[in-house]
Formats: sequence, C-alpha cells, structure tokens
Amino acid sequence: MAFANPNITAFAVEATEFPDLARKYHVSGVPKTVVNDEVEILGGLPQDAFIQQALSTLTSQVSTLTPPES
Amino acid sequence: MPLLSPADQDKLRESFAEMTRSVRLLFFTQTLDCETCPETRQILDELPALSDRVAVEDVNFVLDKDKAQQYAIDRVPAIAVLGLDESSQVHDSRIRFLGAPAGYEFISLVQAILLVGGRESILTEENRQRVAAVDKPVTMQVFTTPT
Repeated sequence: MAFANPNITAFAVEATEFPDLARKYHVSGVPKTVVNDEVEILGGLPQDAFIQQALSTLTSQVSTLTPPES
Repeated sequence: MPLLSPADQDKLRESFAEMTRSVRLLFFTQTLDCETCPETRQILDELPALSDRVAVEDVNFVLDKDKAQQYAIDRVPAIAVLGLDESSQVHDSRIRFLGAPAGYEFISLVQAILLVGGRESILTEENRQRVAAVDKPVTMQVFTTPT
C-alpha cells in the first residue's frame, strides 16, 4: 500500500523487540495492524476486507473496527 | 557461518535475478544499547552477495539524526527500503522495518525488496485505485513476531 501511494508509510514492527510500542497499541496477538492510531485490525484478512478496513477512517470517522471472528 | 542455507541462498538468488530496479536498504544502527543491531547486520550482510541489485547502506542513528528524521525512524535497528531508477535517483518506498528482520520478518523484507525491485504488486487493480485515492498522510504499523 505504501508503494502504491506516497501518502502512506508502512512500518513492520517486531513486537517483542519493542514492548513499549506493543503495550501502547495493546498488541495481544499478531499480526496486528494499526492505521493512524485509529483503526486496529487483528489477524490476517483477505485483501479486499483488509484495505476496506484500513482505509475506513480516511473517508468517514469510525473509531475501531475488528474483523469478524475467524 | 552464514544464516542462510545454500538452498535458501539459491532460491533468493533466483528471485532477485528477476529484479529490474536496484534496491538500497538503509540500515539505521548504533554501536551501543542495541541488542539486535548485530543480528540485523548479519542478516543484511548476506543479501548483497546474492544480487548486484541489492545494496545496504549503514546510517549511524546517533550521528545522523537528520537522516533518521527524514525517514521517520525513531528507534533501531531499522531498515528503510529505497528504490533506484535508471539514473540512480532514489525513490523512497516508505516501507520500513523496525527490529531485526528474522523469521517471518525476513520473508516480508524479501517481498519488499522484490516489490520495490520491480515485481508486480499483489494489489488488485480496484484496490490499487482505492489506495491511490488516499490524499492525506497515513501511517500503518504492522506488528509481528519472528515465529
């Protein structure tokens, strides 16, 4: 996504090395994706669903979205 | 003793051979107080040997604060993935890795190198357009563990 848009920066964060970040973002399982400190996506999702959730607050104000139970 | 087995080296050599653009990995590191910097160094050192299109450039995180700021790096070890065009102009992919790229993270790093190196994106055309339409700054953090 970062590669497709210069407005997007993507960090792959090794959670065990940076417990401060893991705590700050309440990382209880991986992968966990945090977008602009607003959207949290836990687990892997199909591409369409992932992008829809990741971009959700960029078009409307939604606080936190979680994926359906897998 | 290399970290990558001869078989893995061959596989990577084969994948990297398809790259059409060169990639530079900016490695932000520091000598003291960085437990996984030596491990990251060891992992990264194995890559340029596998392809002329992959280079690693060290950035001293303590001394080169400007560069760290330019690439939004606030901790080490960190890697910024940069692409180089035909005229050696640098293009920042804005893909970063924080922490040693071991285990699954190594696979992600290889994928990032291949993408920036010219491989086609896995995004569908529809999703590519959705992503391209984002017109404000977005920071995505993907938390992972090595296993």
